Amino acid sequence: MPLDTSTTYPLTRLRLDGRRWNELRLLQAQISTNPASSGSSYLSMGNTSIMCSVHGPAEGRRGDGGSAGSGHAVVEVDVNVAGFAGVDRKRRAGGSDRQSSRIATTLRSAFQSHLHTYLYPHSTISIHVSVLSADGSLLAAALNACTLALVDAGIPMPGLLCGCTSGMSGSASTPRDPRHDELDPLLDLSLPEEQELPSLTVATTTAVPVGENNMDEDEEAMKVCVLTMESKVHATYLETMLAVGIDGCSQIRELLEGVIKGSRG
Amino acid sequence: MKSLRRDLSANPQAANVTSKVFVRSTKSGKVQKIVRELYLREDIPCSSKLCSQCPTIAPADANGNIAPFILSDRPAGTTAFPRGHYLVPDTNALLNGMDLFEHTGAFYDVIVLQTVLEELRNRSLPLYNRLLALVKSDEKRFYLFFNEFRRETHVRRGPDETINDRNDRAVRMVASWYGSHLQQSAKKGKKEKAIPAIVVVTDDKENLRKCKEENVTALSLSDYVSGLEGSEMLLDMISESKDARDSKETTRGELFYPEYFSMSKLTTGLRAGTLHQGVFNVSPYNYLEASVKTAAFDKPLLILGRDNSNRAIAGDSVVVEVLPQDQWKSPSTKIVDEEAVTRNDNPDTEETEAVVTDRERKALQEEVKKAHGKHAEGRPQPTAKVVGVIKRSWRQYVGHVDTNSTGSQASGRRQQNVFLLPMDKRIPKIRVRTRQASDILGQRILVTIDSWDRDSRYPTGHFIRALGELETKGAETEALLLEYDVQYKPFPKSVLDCLPSEGHDWKVPVSKEDKGWNGRKDLRDLLICSIDPPGCQDIDDALHARVLPNGNYEVGVHIADVSHFVKPNNPMDLEASVRGTTVYLVDKRIDMLPHLLGTDLCSLKPYVERYAFSVLWEMTPDAEIVSSNFTKSVIRSREAFSYEQAQLRIDDKSQQDELTESMRALLKFSKVLRQKRMDAGALNLASPEVRIESEGDEVGDPLTDVKTKAMLDTNSLVEEFMLLANITVGSKIYESFSQTALLRRHATPPPQNFEDLQNQLLKKRNMELDVSSSRALAESLDRCVDPNNPFFNTLVRILATRCMTSAEYFCAGAFTESEFRHYGLASPIYTHFTSPIRRYADLMVHRQLASAIGYEGEDGHAVIEGVTTRNKLEDICRNINVRHRNAQHAGRASIEYYVGQALKARGEKMAADGVDAGIEEEGYVMRVFENGVVIFVPRFGIEGVVRLEDFVLPGESGARSVAERRELAPHRTTEFDSEEYTLRVEEKGHPEKERSVTVELFQKVRVNVSSVKEEGRGAGKRRVRILVTEA
Repeated sequence: MPLDTSTTYPLTRLRLDGRRWNELRLLQAQISTNPASSGSSYLSMGNTSIMCSVHGPAEGRRGDGGSAGSGHAVVEVDVNVAGFAGVDRKRRAGGSDRQSSRIATTLRSAFQSHLHTYLYPHSTISIHVSVLSADGSLLAAALNACTLALVDAGIPMPGLLCGCTSGMSGSASTPRDPRHDELDPLLDLSLPEEQELPSLTVATTTAVPVGENNMDEDEEAMKVCVLTMESKVHATYLETMLAVGIDGCSQIRELLEGVIKGSRG
Repeated sequence: MKSLRRDLSANPQAANVTSKVFVRSTKSGKVQKIVRELYLREDIPCSSKLCSQCPTIAPADANGNIAPFILSDRPAGTTAFPRGHYLVPDTNALLNGMDLFEHTGAFYDVIVLQTVLEELRNRSLPLYNRLLALVKSDEKRFYLFFNEFRRETHVRRGPDETINDRNDRAVRMVASWYGSHLQQSAKKGKKEKAIPAIVVVTDDKENLRKCKEENVTALSLSDYVSGLEGSEMLLDMISESKDARDSKETTRGELFYPEYFSMSKLTTGLRAGTLHQGVFNVSPYNYLEASVKTAAFDKPLLILGRDNSNRAIAGDSVVVEVLPQDQWKSPSTKIVDEEAVTRNDNPDTEETEAVVTDRERKALQEEVKKAHGKHAEGRPQPTAKVVGVIKRSWRQYVGHVDTNSTGSQASGRRQQNVFLLPMDKRIPKIRVRTRQASDILGQRILVTIDSWDRDSRYPTGHFIRALGELETKGAETEALLLEYDVQYKPFPKSVLDCLPSEGHDWKVPVSKEDKGWNGRKDLRDLLICSIDPPGCQDIDDALHARVLPNGNYEVGVHIADVSHFVKPNNPMDLEASVRGTTVYLVDKRIDMLPHLLGTDLCSLKPYVERYAFSVLWEMTPDAEIVSSNFTKSVIRSREAFSYEQAQLRIDDKSQQDELTESMRALLKFSKVLRQKRMDAGALNLASPEVRIESEGDEVGDPLTDVKTKAMLDTNSLVEEFMLLANITVGSKIYESFSQTALLRRHATPPPQNFEDLQNQLLKKRNMELDVSSSRALAESLDRCVDPNNPFFNTLVRILATRCMTSAEYFCAGAFTESEFRHYGLASPIYTHFTSPIRRYADLMVHRQLASAIGYEGEDGHAVIEGVTTRNKLEDICRNINVRHRNAQHAGRASIEYYVGQALKARGEKMAADGVDAGIEEEGYVMRVFENGVVIFVPRFGIEGVVRLEDFVLPGESGARSVAERRELAPHRTTEFDSEEYTLRVEEKGHPEKERSVTVELFQKVRVNVSSVKEEGRGAGKRRVRILVTEA
């Protein structure tokens, strides 16, 4: 049995993969990986790797018009976790499981409101996310991969949408004691950490530069647009976790910007 | 399409990323391949105070703190390493010598590698936990070095390298890195003299050789220890198993025991239902007989003889196979003591031993002869043999060295094998290798079992430490605490830090605006009093009653608000949850909570204001409950009574004040409540308890302190209201926490348990015991009266109690609601709420109740305190169940020890005047065996085995000494009637009636009780000897 973070972290201040509390895993990404689609990307955060392709905006399907209506493009998201992505090889009977449909729902609602969909009335933007290997922070990695693919597809958005996970280095089930704070927040959790520790996923974007603020170039003007948490943690820790997560998002933003700018050259 | 492969060359950071690949198999047998990333780094400090580099690179945690460096700049030196040394143990060294590493005399400045920690965790979880505890404690200076993440010390497994070789290489790598690192970076000025040596400790010969090649200092554990001071004692503490196995590889002798089945065979068998799993339970009267209760059968399976027990030790979780029907036997009717049968075994000579000695075999055969009786006790029972051990529950055992087993050449320091006789009769002798045999003779010593191989008749263990002379109070008390696994060490500083800083001056805040008053009711004007045993310091509960304007009564039970002081998950809470309960010994109390809380701040002492948790009922004058209400409160107890004082005050007609009146009201209610409970079928059980009241009276007869527990009305007054409070709280928390409420249940005992007793009663007294329900049982117990023998009823109650299962804590989700029932109290739901100072369960219940009533705590925001997940709660339940049982046993053993000592003291006093005549008392026959009986002496609450030689036959000379009487045994013969439960003892060749004694079950006999020095196993305990003088 491998060691676990909650026992060894307090002793060494090192996580199970040798990272410190505030370090991201190695993030690598490329865009325009699939010329057959409008936009595509490949992104890996540690051993989590994701391929994403965007089709559209294309004309909306018939019959869909009514519900989509109101002059906005509809974002469709399809998430497929490959059978070989996890530790156990899973044979999936076509349909999507709970995990992937939950990620799909979150991605859809995040990008539906994030993209400038009003520019493409009566049309559909469809995003396909394939998880090639899953090693934690799946939603965050998917958010980042989608952002890259959408940028590649040239779909206008107010800023890059970047996601990241953060957790606590212990079960954090009782109120935080500010006098001797034993638990550290952790950034960008891997799968074993996600299974052991409480964690949340947060995604931020830069605010729309409108009107007079346009000139301000205020880097701090970020807003949280996705926040999900599926584990239990005492409310007093939430602020710390959130702060670390948001900080992680801006680190990721720089990395993604580097990828986008790099690919032009 | 572009290649999607990771392009590592482009990214400068990527050079530091590597990965670790390993394969593991899951419980279900699947094999998983796991890939983990590793981020290599250079900022992992060496943590030596000598180093000048590492402090500059040491990383900070989220709050900007840097962990202090651990390894001393002046580590201890030995003769071999005069400049001091740091130790780097490998996994085997830790496996074999964990006791050494915990020793406070040596083994400081140890570098524990991540590689080793991880391997240790795979090999032994308990050792891993002990190592972690060492790393966490400050004084031993153990540093956990994450070598796999430091770039210089990271080791990649070679293509043909086994995992062990790789790990050994990692250890060597670290040692050489530390050496060169310290050379480079040691602070100036010290450079020349004081670079400590880095010493690898390993028992692996191959590794030692490679260390030599690579110029790394390495020693085997025993070589290293030999160079230390006091090495003889330390050497004994090295685990025996490894050494022995190595040497026996070549000269493998006879195999005494059958091999265990393989794990897969066991699991298949268990699944198919051909094998059964259960806990190995050794009979206290016969060490060769054990039983295993399995899920598949109502009655436990018998396991007879050493062959079938196959190296299982009491408490192990084993897998058994049922034997063919022709090997079924009846449970033994004989008392068999290990040391009596195997007295002459020699611990050094293995070759001549057969696993079953002839004498043992004979003892077994005699039992088989009796196997074909006609009724339950004689009918052959299904027997089984152990084919596998799922989990050993080996612990540390207290005992003493068998004097017979030390060689005649006990002089000198030669290492020799000795037998250790554990105090617990159900544990076999343990072979211990020691160099200090002559020193530890006559001492209470602590040992642990290392292994029990097929080629060894007895388990092998090693010495840990000596507790002191046999029979001294200190050694015996410590032995008792160790044997019952009671945590008796003083509270560590981290626990004491959790106490309120005001100490004894803590007071309930005066101002009601204070946050301490949040959500608390002011009940200071109620006339509350407490009633407890005399001299009670930790007052958990207090009571009041008053008339309401509508003619009903308000009755309140107020319990110390411990949960206010003990916040969940702080060190004090964790310590309390491990201790589980306060343990009461005759002259000592081992507290669950620090003294300050238990006897002062929480204790509901009279005349001062205290926080309490109150249960308030409105009752009609007929004790019908109209409503119940729970609240945190502040109370001021008016008086702390002892049971006697309270009784006197109630009985004193001249006392007409309000407080006395309210006590009278309480007493009246309690009687009604008790009657209701009895009508519902509550059992009135008896246990053979006595109480010791030491008045410090040196002159008088020490035996006068031994008192049987008196039952006053006021005892039952308090008891009734506590029961009521517990029941009311139980249903309240179950309402709020349907899955996680902490409750207590007493399972309905299966009727088979009573079969023997029913048979015995029917045969001897023609009485029926109806066990169809608790009510029927209560009523039939009431009918078991013998006009000539007033104690008979109590005796039956004691025996009936033993047929029942014991009550247990559980969490609500673990059982269906119908199984919540408390059989003994005839209540559908029950919990423990009323003694949070001394029981952890009550503390948990307090937290749950506080949450259930929406108490918002001091800070104003509601907090679900305590455990909310079922798994964790079930762990806690398991622990407190064990602790509770151990505490009871320890308390009883302490009383037994005290009675023995009192008898001894009396004996010595008498001996001064002449001869130790013992005390004449009344006793009752509890069990009849083929070669003895068990007699219960109510006066002292003791039961003892009476063997053949201890029957005083008419006309014999009154020889009293143990040795003299032992001579008698071979000349005696018995006639045992297993159907009539009678035993006739006579001298060989003298069958005349006048010269024999016949005893039967339940019979009242005159006995002579005295304390004699025991020679065999119980030595030091001073067996209480019972002589039957008159049947």
